[in-house]
Amino acid sequence: MYGKMRRMASAPAVLALLMAVSAQAQEPKQGGTLTFTYEPEPSALSTIATTAVPTALVSSKIFESLLEYEGPELTPVEGLAESWDVSEDGKTYTFKLRDDVQWHDGEPFTSEDVKFSVEKMVLPFHSRGKVYFGELAGVDIPDEHTVAFRLNQPVPFFLKAFQPTETPMMPEHILSSLDLSDASAVRQSDFMQNPIGTGPFRFEEWVKGSHIILERNEDYWKEERPYLDQVIFRVIPDGAARAVALETGEIDVAPMNSVPQADMARLADLEHIELSNEGAEGLGPILWLEVNLREKPLSDVRVRKAISMAIDRSKIVDVIWYGQGKPATGPIVSANPVFYDDTLSPFEYSPEEAEKLLDEAGYPRGTDGVRFRMEQHFTPYGESFVRLAEYVKNELGKIGIEVQTQSTDMGGWLKAIYTDWSYQMTNNFTHNYSDPQIGVQRAFISSNIRRGASFTNSMGYVNPRVDELFEQASTEIDEAKRKELFVEIQQILRDELPVIFLIEIAYSHLYNSRVHNLITNGISMYSNWDSVWVE
Amino acid sequence: MGRFVIRRLAQLVPVVLAIATLNFLLLQLAPGDAADIVAGRSGHATAEMVEQLRRDFGLDLPVHQQYLVYLERLMTLNLGYSFIYELPVATLILERLPATLLLMVLSITLAIGLGILLGLTAARNRGGVIDNVVSVLALVIYAIPQFWLGLMLIVFFSITLGILPSGGMIDVRVRDTGFVYALDVARHLVLPVLTMALFYVAIYTRLMRATMLEVYELDFITTARAKGVSERGVAWRHAARNALLPVVTLAGVQFGHLLGGSILVETVFGWPGLGRLVFDSLQQRDLNLLLGILFVSSVVVVLANLVADLAYSLLDPRIVHQ
Repeated sequence: MYGKMRRMASAPAVLALLMAVSAQAQEPKQGGTLTFTYEPEPSALSTIATTAVPTALVSSKIFESLLEYEGPELTPVEGLAESWDVSEDGKTYTFKLRDDVQWHDGEPFTSEDVKFSVEKMVLPFHSRGKVYFGELAGVDIPDEHTVAFRLNQPVPFFLKAFQPTETPMMPEHILSSLDLSDASAVRQSDFMQNPIGTGPFRFEEWVKGSHIILERNEDYWKEERPYLDQVIFRVIPDGAARAVALETGEIDVAPMNSVPQADMARLADLEHIELSNEGAEGLGPILWLEVNLREKPLSDVRVRKAISMAIDRSKIVDVIWYGQGKPATGPIVSANPVFYDDTLSPFEYSPEEAEKLLDEAGYPRGTDGVRFRMEQHFTPYGESFVRLAEYVKNELGKIGIEVQTQSTDMGGWLKAIYTDWSYQMTNNFTHNYSDPQIGVQRAFISSNIRRGASFTNSMGYVNPRVDELFEQASTEIDEAKRKELFVEIQQILRDELPVIFLIEIAYSHLYNSRVHNLITNGISMYSNWDSVWVE
Repeated sequence: MGRFVIRRLAQLVPVVLAIATLNFLLLQLAPGDAADIVAGRSGHATAEMVEQLRRDFGLDLPVHQQYLVYLERLMTLNLGYSFIYELPVATLILERLPATLLLMVLSITLAIGLGILLGLTAARNRGGVIDNVVSVLALVIYAIPQFWLGLMLIVFFSITLGILPSGGMIDVRVRDTGFVYALDVARHLVLPVLTMALFYVAIYTRLMRATMLEVYELDFITTARAKGVSERGVAWRHAARNALLPVVTLAGVQFGHLLGGSILVETVFGWPGLGRLVFDSLQQRDLNLLLGILFVSSVVVVLANLVADLAYSLLDPRIVHQ
């Protein structure tokens, strides 16, 4: 809800007050259907099969985890676990489970399911399973409603693991019959297409290429929840057509930039459409230029600084992303409520200084005005990334760097950047996720220079101090001390620019104003929407 | 006639095999594969995971072995598993084929029907107002890109007038049955069929007009007129029947084009058909799925041409298939 309130703050005060009062007065209404869209269509309905965005969007309504989260900072509150306890040394987490939860097929949910989900599903098959549970020594289940996780060493972000997309609870009584040693048997199992969870919505129907229907779970453990009778995912492959469907009311919600940026402002101006850039703090999207540090001239930090100075980040936000976002100041996004270093200044924009640095680095302009030539790739995520590549080429051309742009599809891009390391520079878009250890560390530690592993340290960046700091932060349970470590990391990465940080892209959600309670926390679109209601 | 059909069906085998081989080889040229994509989407893939996926998908085998596996499967009509959807390719295709065929058959019927009618009318009024209006309109429609036309139709009928849905095949929120369901599908069909058909209406109109004019110059038309056959009878019974031959040939060939065009139209209108699946599988390098669709669509196109050939003998008794 805070997303909407902030938008109101910019409207004339009286009007805002009136609107706030009327919004307050509205009681949640039971019933109704909410329709949303995203592109592409999911390929499976469990994040055990893939953590791609569309799968996460749909599966988070069907599956739940032990905790729920409040606010942008994701404060854990009770979910399937009604209470929890952390041992003094930070190495044992004990959860007390609710005793009134049942699976969509009517079987009771117990501690056996929790143990099974973590050990047999999330740890081996979830793409971030090892990030959360790599230090797991064992799971004890003294009784049907108690679970204790024993860790080899403290994991400071452990309580962030129990999000519906990250550690979904899976029914042991159904899945234990699979051959769990065979990853493809698990991915190809019927369960991934016909999921059974404990969430507020039951899976009802999936017509490929058309829609997915989720129905209200009548036996949901929360009293009088969910409010909605139905949640429908509509497949609308074309961006302009998604915008139209939102405008005509055929869909209610277009989450996470699923309509073209060019259409957003126009849609947001319509009386029945709201736009919010909040509710994705727990994902922390960020855009940067990834550079291969193995070869000259990009191995020279002065050259990277020059590139950084030649680029006007606010122009990228205003022109290419139509104002939806803000300049980045380092690897951790400013929306991170705990670890972002808010003393960081914006990156300097000065083409003149950039030219001086390049002269200094030994790359004077030749007779043709060119200092050196290089290649760039761009992420095949759509038009904005092509425009960004064009802008970068143009700006670098002004300071004497001639850039040639290579176009590839997703398969070719992943191979060039992460398997062959056969690139010089590419724009790239990644997520911080709910802790720097999950989304930031992976790109900068030297042990992650591994061929074939995607969204890792493709640059070949090695700094023993950075490795050490991340190592320390991974077991530091004092939050203040942990922040100090991340502050130092942010400083070093800003100075050395192993990647050129560009902007924090906003995740804009557009929705019909008949929809209420949509923005509730830092993972609003990956939440179970049990409190969402429609007029 | 029967022997002709059997012979043509036998010819289908080498043609489809050649197409299948060409498809396979072309898809080998692009860098990166489905394992890269599946792993990349997860955001945290390790190198081991990519290798494992590659083994699972059979992409670690040398190309000639992959080709042999592929051929072996084709022989038994087993199209394999989709890497992305983790479902049998045949299932995915069968789910989508009816929607695409519905769209295509309606579009081509409308295109041919309207095209013939307009072309014929224009030819009969050669040089007149109707002829000029039809010719100019046909030229304009021919020049409009399909996806743009689709979007403009949406803007006009869905946003401005608000009388037709902007996409999809049914109103999922209502989920009707029986007659109401059919009516709902029909409402959803109007815009995609129009978008797909209009371009071909233009082509058939122009073709029909041109061939009609040619036929009008022939001696037998003069003879027919001399016999006292009415102008309407000359046009319909004598000229049109002859002028239809090139139209039928073109329709057979264009069935393939139409399948290609359905990629665009299905994407714009969110139509749950095969064209859309082509787009997805290309984007995600789902080799098995793409090869499966190309295989099925080449069979459909070859069969459509067979039907066109058979239609000749119905139109022109001089053509006898032996």
